[in-house]
Amino acid sequence: MTSRGPAFLRDRPPSLPRRAGIGRGRFILLMLLPATALLVGLTIIPFLVSLGFSFTNYSLVTPDETAGIWLRNYRQLVASEEFWSALRVTLIFTTCAVAIQLGLGVAIAVLLHHETRAVPALRLLYLLPLAITPVAAVFTFRMMFNPTLGVFNFLLKEVGLPAQDWLGTPGMALFSILIVDTWQWTPFMLLIAIGGLAALDEEPLEAAAMDGAGPWQVFRHHTLPMLFPYLVVAVVFRAIDAFKTFDIIFVLTGGGPGIATRTLNLLAYKQGIEFLSLGYAAAIAIVMLIVTIVASQALLRKVGLFKPKAIL
Amino acid sequence: MTRLLFPPSGGLHLPITRRGMLRASAILAGAGLLSAKGAPLWAQDVYAEFEPLWKAAAIDWTRHSGTTIQIGALSHPWTDAMMPLLPHFTRLTGIEVNLTPQSETEYVAEMPVKLGAGNATPDVYMVWALGQAIEAGWLAPLDEMEANPDISDPAWYDAADVFNSGRSFEKWSDGVTYTRAITAEAQTMFYNQTMLDGAGLAIPATMDELHAAAVALKSDDVAGIVLRAKATGDAAAWPAGGWVFSHGGAIIDPASGAVGLTSAGTVAGVDSYARLLRDAGPVGVGNYHWMECLNDFMAGAAAIGGDSSNFASDIANPEKSTVVGQVSYGALPSAAGLPAKPNMWHWTAGINANSTNKEAAYLFLSWATSKPTSALAAAAGLATSRASAWGTSAFGDRFGAQAASAALANLTAADGDLFKAAWFHPKAPQILDAFAIGVNEAVTATKDAATAMADAAAKLDGQL
Repeated sequence: MTSRGPAFLRDRPPSLPRRAGIGRGRFILLMLLPATALLVGLTIIPFLVSLGFSFTNYSLVTPDETAGIWLRNYRQLVASEEFWSALRVTLIFTTCAVAIQLGLGVAIAVLLHHETRAVPALRLLYLLPLAITPVAAVFTFRMMFNPTLGVFNFLLKEVGLPAQDWLGTPGMALFSILIVDTWQWTPFMLLIAIGGLAALDEEPLEAAAMDGAGPWQVFRHHTLPMLFPYLVVAVVFRAIDAFKTFDIIFVLTGGGPGIATRTLNLLAYKQGIEFLSLGYAAAIAIVMLIVTIVASQALLRKVGLFKPKAIL
Repeated sequence: MTRLLFPPSGGLHLPITRRGMLRASAILAGAGLLSAKGAPLWAQDVYAEFEPLWKAAAIDWTRHSGTTIQIGALSHPWTDAMMPLLPHFTRLTGIEVNLTPQSETEYVAEMPVKLGAGNATPDVYMVWALGQAIEAGWLAPLDEMEANPDISDPAWYDAADVFNSGRSFEKWSDGVTYTRAITAEAQTMFYNQTMLDGAGLAIPATMDELHAAAVALKSDDVAGIVLRAKATGDAAAWPAGGWVFSHGGAIIDPASGAVGLTSAGTVAGVDSYARLLRDAGPVGVGNYHWMECLNDFMAGAAAIGGDSSNFASDIANPEKSTVVGQVSYGALPSAAGLPAKPNMWHWTAGINANSTNKEAAYLFLSWATSKPTSALAAAAGLATSRASAWGTSAFGDRFGAQAASAALANLTAADGDLFKAAWFHPKAPQILDAFAIGVNEAVTATKDAATAMADAAAKLDGQL
């Protein structure tokens, strides 16, 4: 048996692939093939096709007139006021959504971390929003936000507060969308934070408490830094997802009032599905991809620079 | 003398006499009642009565027996009315029909991709953007099939019975017929007569009177008026279009094809619409689509409404509405001495240009829009595109005689050219999106009407 290759392969009994009459390299390739085929078929090829479309004027209405126009879609995009408005709305929404959900998720996780009898039931309750079909839930929220017949304004009136135009003004519409997104996605943050807390080594925390640190100090200077790597993963996943949010905004406001809640994803939908300008829509999608990659890489690099001492 | 109940111009092979009509309408009334309870309109006796009316056509109905066709349709009153009738078609022709309705959002998103990819199905589909579909080549011309005596009998079909506006939807500007009109809708006003009487108000005849009445009827619990104002092309654009047309404006000028958003009439129409909703609309009207408007009106949370005449069926349905028996329907008020030009709409259906079952699809289209089938659909409350169906007592009972009368008056007053210039434009989605955003901005007071329309026009500049 050759001594080359990773240890875990060297240590494996060589009999299985040899008995099958297949070389180890071919065996590995064979095992990788299904995943690779899926990756190529479902991710790489569609991405390359989209990238190709973004350099054309491809429209479903006039497919026979498709021609290469190089960077014109991108130039048109950055010159358009709609794009910058949509990018601004997307960034505000993503930042606010992730920040609120991170804070709430961690806070609830810490509360649930101390065992009580009600914890299993509470965990289930908190995770329910993740199990509900998003569009059905958002339609329910749409009815609840109805200024005339909705339950939110009914409750406000019951306590003597004025009715709100939840979805009809630019500021309130974004705020209402954040409420729904937070309801739906805080459980995701909670899930990761709970997992992280359960995996933490309790010794440093107990030692800090014995040294006289209060609960807040233990949390601020020990628990949070130790939890940090888990939270970064949660933030990256959630931020990528929030950046692409579509269903909540589409159902609640359709991007309005005006274009106050029109995000990049909604803009791409409008161009691609309503206006059938697939080349232009593909350019928007590629820009979204670039923004996502750059932002997530920047975040991950920053985490690498500020690794918490507890982990080191 | 035998009096014909249907217009005589078509020369039906089997004249429909008063006696025959009485018998048929009795069946229709019964069928309507049955269908109202969820029982089928495909009952044996209904088929037996209508079979001679279909077979009166000099059409070889069984020519494509054994074929299966797919119908692309969204959840809509036409689909609801047509689905129980499909077994009749299968029995008449031997052609199986698959129809699975989709939500409008799903339908509008999926169909362009399907058709754009050259898919052969659906064979027949409801056309959501006619100009776009024709420019893309997604619709098969019907003229050649109409001239084929094996599958077409123009005398029996009696196109003259179809509303003029409906026929104008079917024929494109190149003179080619691409679709058949399947519904007729007109912008119609709904008044909660109890509230109007309570305030001592008459039904408004002018826009100024409408504004005054809506403001007078507004209270903490009830909106004076409810109209669509959501910033999407399928929401605010249609009712606001009627206001614009009635103020002498245009979204797209039918004569020149140019964007008409900055014309004085258009700005005046948008300003009138926006002021009305700001002064008398419900809180949050900036996010109102037709569903919110209908819900508010049926819940008694709005005194006046103005939308598609098709709402009458829901408003008169005691399972959905709390204002049954309290509603009067009326014409769109006129503005400053100008004629009222309510907006209108005919849903149309056409044949997929790539369909491999074009003749079978044509048979279905002819059957679905024929006089007998339209009468059956009308008995279920569908506002079809045929005058004869609107004249049946079963339709009057189901839709409401006064609602039908108001809808017809509005349909007659509508200016199809103004509508078609915008809604049938190949870039209609872009145009209506920009217009709706402008209307929404004016309603929510983000911008004044003139600025909102100027910005919308600027957005379209270079796109058309």
